[in-house]
Amino acid sequence: MTAIDIKDFSFHYPDGTPALNRVSLSIEPGEKVLLIGPNGAGKSSLLLAMAGFAQGTGSVVVEGLKVTKKNLKAIRQVLGCCLENPDDQLFMPTLFEDIAFGPLNMGLSQAEIEQRVTQALTTVGLADKAHKPPHHLSAGQKRAAAIATVLSMAPRIITLDEPDGSLDPRRRIELQTLLKSLTQTLVIATCNMNFAYALADRVILVDHGQIVADGTAQTIMTDRALMETHGLELPAL
Amino acid sequence: MHHAHIDKFAYQDSPIHRLDARAKLAVTLIATLLIVALPRFSPDLAFYTWLGPFVLLVLGRIPIQFVAKHILWALPFILVLALTSLWYDRTETTILFGPFQWHSTMGWLKCLTLTAKFVGSMLALTALICTTRFSDLLMVLQRWHVPEILVIQLGFLYRYIFVLIDKAHHTKQARTLRTLKRLPTKQELRIGAAMIGSVLVQSLDTSTHITQAMQARGFTGQWHSPRQFHIKPADWLFMAIATLYIGLLLHLGSMY
Repeated sequence: MTAIDIKDFSFHYPDGTPALNRVSLSIEPGEKVLLIGPNGAGKSSLLLAMAGFAQGTGSVVVEGLKVTKKNLKAIRQVLGCCLENPDDQLFMPTLFEDIAFGPLNMGLSQAEIEQRVTQALTTVGLADKAHKPPHHLSAGQKRAAAIATVLSMAPRIITLDEPDGSLDPRRRIELQTLLKSLTQTLVIATCNMNFAYALADRVILVDHGQIVADGTAQTIMTDRALMETHGLELPAL
Repeated sequence: MHHAHIDKFAYQDSPIHRLDARAKLAVTLIATLLIVALPRFSPDLAFYTWLGPFVLLVLGRIPIQFVAKHILWALPFILVLALTSLWYDRTETTILFGPFQWHSTMGWLKCLTLTAKFVGSMLALTALICTTRFSDLLMVLQRWHVPEILVIQLGFLYRYIFVLIDKAHHTKQARTLRTLKRLPTKQELRIGAAMIGSVLVQSLDTSTHITQAMQARGFTGQWHSPRQFHIKPADWLFMAIATLYIGLLLHLGSMY
């Protein structure tokens, strides 16, 4: 079954500004897809549409479930999304409670919740920070914690919006390693071409709310004319 | 940002923190109702209501300075109300406080009682908030069938108040960094109004993102806590002592 299938999806902001214009794409299970494009291209809107936060025309289907109000609960157990700002993602008083928030809403048993939280924290390297308030973590740790909040729900698809933002090179490499190690379907929006090139199985270039190019990182990200036309730089190979 | 949360001590471990949230909330509510219902001219009795919460704060290892600071912050609001009593009721009376007594007016008596009652209620509520996690309190309210909408509102208020504080702090910092001299009052007021507007709009935006993050993780309006509630022997003992204490205050109140 296709992980995500989007057909002719269009979405406008409440003030009428078009964000996405007749976007169609299909993502297979296990793919690591990087959405690249300049600021305001529509990458974040596309991720929000996958999670059911951007209602527009056309259809978005996640693992066979059409994104409608009725299916949202089921979709959110399959697709986990990490927002651009980890401070928005971390809202509970301790890291443990934050990571347990999703599993608690899924109605899991106490033992399973503890096991999932511990496993998610270990995966992102924050096992020793379980009882710290999230706002006391560093930028890199917050980013890792935000990913852990999603991992604890064991989704099969994860969307991440600019996960490399405000990370120093060491933390960025750590994040790359973490994301590479995940077996889930990943859809990542980024403006950082080196980060995208290091991770991507597939790259989708978005601009002006439309998909401009779709292919391997090698094909798209080495095409100087294409990249520069859309205000992007070539990765440092 | 690091907030000086009013509940920052709720994550400590002490015999009071380990008590069941239901027992603490029930006792606090009853004690607060009792304080409100005490006779209007009973300052000595109102002062006795400080004792119970004070013991809880000490056993809960809550710094008294922290509690005093929060009470002092809120005190001016009640003082305005309490001090007006001085003008309305100037009947001469004798005030008794333990072994001490002095002559004054009924207005003073009322003012003292009102202030002491307020401090007593604040101590009780602070003791509850400082020794109980907010998520546990929300869970208790849910279990007691408090309307869901109210529980959700309380939960969001708890989260968004800090969003608002953060935004206000950042906006103030940005303004300070670009302030080289004081502008004419009219201009300062205009800038102040624009800043408040900007803070509210930004907070709304952030609140929307937080709501999205919560919904994305399956939040549908029900609060859950990873902690389990069990009434233990220590909870029964706490409730028994609290009942005795409240009963004694009621008895003393009935003698007025």
